[in-house]
Amino acid sequence: MLEGLVSQESLSLNSMDMSVLERLKWVQQQQQQLQQVVYQSSNNSHELLQILQFHGSNNDDLLQSSFSPFQMLGSGFGPNYNIGFGPPHEAISRTSSCHMEPVDTIEVLLKTGEENRAIALKNKRNPEVKTRGEEKTEKKIKVEAETESSMKGKSNMRNTEASSDTSKETSKKASEIQKLDYIHVRARRGQATDRHSLAERARREKISKKMKYLQDIVPGCNKVTGKAGMLDEIINYVQCLQRQVEFLSMKLAVLNPELELAVEDVSVKQFQAYFTNVVASKQSIMVDVPLFPLDQQGSLDLSAINPNQTTSIEAPSASWETQSQSLYNTSSLGFQY
Amino acid sequence: MFYDEAMMNTYNMVKQRFIKKWINTLHMLDSSIEHPLNVTERKNAIRLSSDLAIAATRSGSTVWSRALISRSGNKTTNKPMARRILKKARNRMKNRCNTLRRNGNFTAKSGTRKRTDLLKSLVPGGEVIDDKDYLIRETLDYIVYLRAQVDVMRTVAAIDLVTGNLTNDRRNK
Repeated sequence: MLEGLVSQESLSLNSMDMSVLERLKWVQQQQQQLQQVVYQSSNNSHELLQILQFHGSNNDDLLQSSFSPFQMLGSGFGPNYNIGFGPPHEAISRTSSCHMEPVDTIEVLLKTGEENRAIALKNKRNPEVKTRGEEKTEKKIKVEAETESSMKGKSNMRNTEASSDTSKETSKKASEIQKLDYIHVRARRGQATDRHSLAERARREKISKKMKYLQDIVPGCNKVTGKAGMLDEIINYVQCLQRQVEFLSMKLAVLNPELELAVEDVSVKQFQAYFTNVVASKQSIMVDVPLFPLDQQGSLDLSAINPNQTTSIEAPSASWETQSQSLYNTSSLGFQY
Repeated sequence: MFYDEAMMNTYNMVKQRFIKKWINTLHMLDSSIEHPLNVTERKNAIRLSSDLAIAATRSGSTVWSRALISRSGNKTTNKPMARRILKKARNRMKNRCNTLRRNGNFTAKSGTRKRTDLLKSLVPGGEVIDDKDYLIRETLDYIVYLRAQVDVMRTVAAIDLVTGNLTNDRRNK
């Protein structure tokens, strides 16, 4: 009985190019399996009827809500959710997989370069407070840095350019601070240099910086450029996660006739060991999406973003796609993401 | 391989804090609700306790956690328990819109504006955030904790399935 469920479950769709129809089919498949679980676990036909009604009504909701964002997107989005039915030692969740390249010296260089840039950016927080000269200096540095970083290309190329740029930046900053009389701002080609547009540009760059952070968090954002596309991906991801919570709470309600979690038998230390064990076992196969850096209390640590952000670029979606494709083909794994 | 071991440890800590709180909130809810419950009521109770627990795990200065607590507090019929849970949050926040807007009646705005409004309706407490920059930061934080919630619930459900089957087999023998 359990084996049947496991084999069915292992055909999970987690490819990033999964189309809407496939995803919907997966969701329906999940619901059918949930119904099977219900049938096997409870003899109460009244409860069974309720579950079927729930799924019946939810189907329309799910379909409607699934289709509506996709009208905007026009492309598939690979969600990460997969309800696990496998054996317990594989039972830890994992979302999308990314392939990490080994750390080498270029990454170290990039880290230091990004840190310098981060410091320059952080100091730019209150432009009104600073003197006019300093403000223009740092904006100029940022403009130069942005011109470098806006060039598309491989991440290694970016590494070398950024690292070579850092030395230029620091030397220029030192020389500029000494000259306080006339600060010439070297704007980009075809852009105005008056104060208003500079402030506007700074504001826009701040928003685009946040968009880049979101790219790290939300899987699948690397392909889409432009604010609208990325907002679409984010919205889709949030909706996916919320639907997953709904679905999982339903599943837990089915599996627990009393309102308590079976995990209470397991102590918290065992749970911790559970998490870390699965981490160790899944290293070779799957890699989690690089997470947004959390500091000790678990709140977002935006100041630490830049060094981590650059290493996360090393996890391109291309290898994630190939990995997920191979995972999709092999049906032997119980948990796939 | 997780690209940052320290971050993974923090994430695991978040998950552990969440599950402790979730067990507590589920107990609280269980003692205040009359049994017997049908499946839908159980699901609602589990969802409610889970949302409260994840918001309490992120009991900080985020808009979404406070909005989620106040929104969930309105759903429970038991007022003393709701007040007890709301004490965990530092500030109260009025949640202006409880329902999820699903592509309803958007007037013709630019593409970004439409999507921003949709995002505001998804993130709890997003409607009151005017600054787009802050909204994106809140969304980021919310996504991380939402993923932690999903991860933990998935694990618990898998454990439940296995232990449920084991007890069934024991009973059948």
